Amino acid sequence: MTGHLGELAALYALGALEPHEQRGVEKHLEVCDACRRLLAQAEADVTAMVSAQARLDPPSPLRAPRAAQPVRAPLRLAFAAAIVIALLPAGYLLEQNLAMHQAMIADAQGVARVAMLPHRTASFTGADARVMYAPDGSWYMVVIRGAKRPLALLWPHDGTQTMLGFAMPHGDVALLYLPKSHRMNQLSLMLDGRVVGQAQLAF
Amino acid sequence: MSALPVERPRSMRPVLDDEALAAAFAAKERWAFDEAYARFGKLLYSTAYHVLGNAEDAQDCVHDALARVWRSPDSYMRSRGAVRSFLTVCVRNEAITRLRSKARRRKLEERVAAEPQEHDELNVADVIEHDRLRAAMRALPPEQRRPLELAYYEHKTHVEIARELSEPLGTVKSRIALGLRKLGAALGASE
Repeated sequence: MTGHLGELAALYALGALEPHEQRGVEKHLEVCDACRRLLAQAEADVTAMVSAQARLDPPSPLRAPRAAQPVRAPLRLAFAAAIVIALLPAGYLLEQNLAMHQAMIADAQGVARVAMLPHRTASFTGADARVMYAPDGSWYMVVIRGAKRPLALLWPHDGTQTMLGFAMPHGDVALLYLPKSHRMNQLSLMLDGRVVGQAQLAF
Repeated sequence: MSALPVERPRSMRPVLDDEALAAAFAAKERWAFDEAYARFGKLLYSTAYHVLGNAEDAQDCVHDALARVWRSPDSYMRSRGAVRSFLTVCVRNEAITRLRSKARRRKLEERVAAEPQEHDELNVADVIEHDRLRAAMRALPPEQRRPLELAYYEHKTHVEIARELSEPLGTVKSRIALGLRKLGAALGASE
């Protein structure tokens, strides 16, 4: 197919496309972030319809598919991640191990933004971590080295702290990408209920 | 550094949970897959059952659809939205594909004729919720409601719907898209 999905997103979510059209949509989704977002809305609408119908118990416990190893992400993404890692400031991403590559690939959109768009960087005191962020605060990418467990990222403001999400470890690197956000002058990392790192951000 | 009180607004909790799950699911973390299965299994089974009308087929369908998702490298990215919606549509599309297979359809018809329907007792809450869907459908203008009903309840393609309603394809596509968004909004869908 050529061009973006448009109304085809609704038809795809409803299962109302012809088989060849469905395959065309899936191919396009592999490369188009805007259409993935468009489809997300249509899928939420269809899920609201499904959820409004009777919820049934399976007669026997569902069999979870066996944990076949997931297929590795395509080489082009691994290559892009390697380039981005090379671009990142030295000192906190020294070991370019496979797990880290996989982590970068998982957040490919964030990686691409760091690689291609102007951004600022701030270090966390108390932790081997940095945050890269848009000059207008519209997105943030937090990279933590030496993380063995998920760390919470918080925004301290007005005498309180708002939880933003968890940086998930891959090997010894944890990443958290916030694709839509706003200006935050300070960020904290928390582990086991304690603040273990803080960063001051300039805009 | 000292520990500070953490505010986790009530309204943010499900968003946070979903966001963490989505990140781990996109990263192909095994625990996220298991968590999604545990959290949404009943919804996914129901989704497949409503299309296929048979418990065994519905279970197979959920299993196969999720196995395919897990084995495909680019099947889910975070921009795709909530894992719940993504999996629901994956399972539903898989169920519709199976239903459209002629051999499958014939087999199903034979089974449906031969076997009593399971799950024929719905609880009151389910009925009320289902009425919400019907009520929201009824609120749509007829020209949007009819093609949407044919797509959702009868699993027809937009080409079949256009033929049945004697309307141009473009018109049918637009009406379905518009109707779906209105219906989603009426049912409180958000991304």
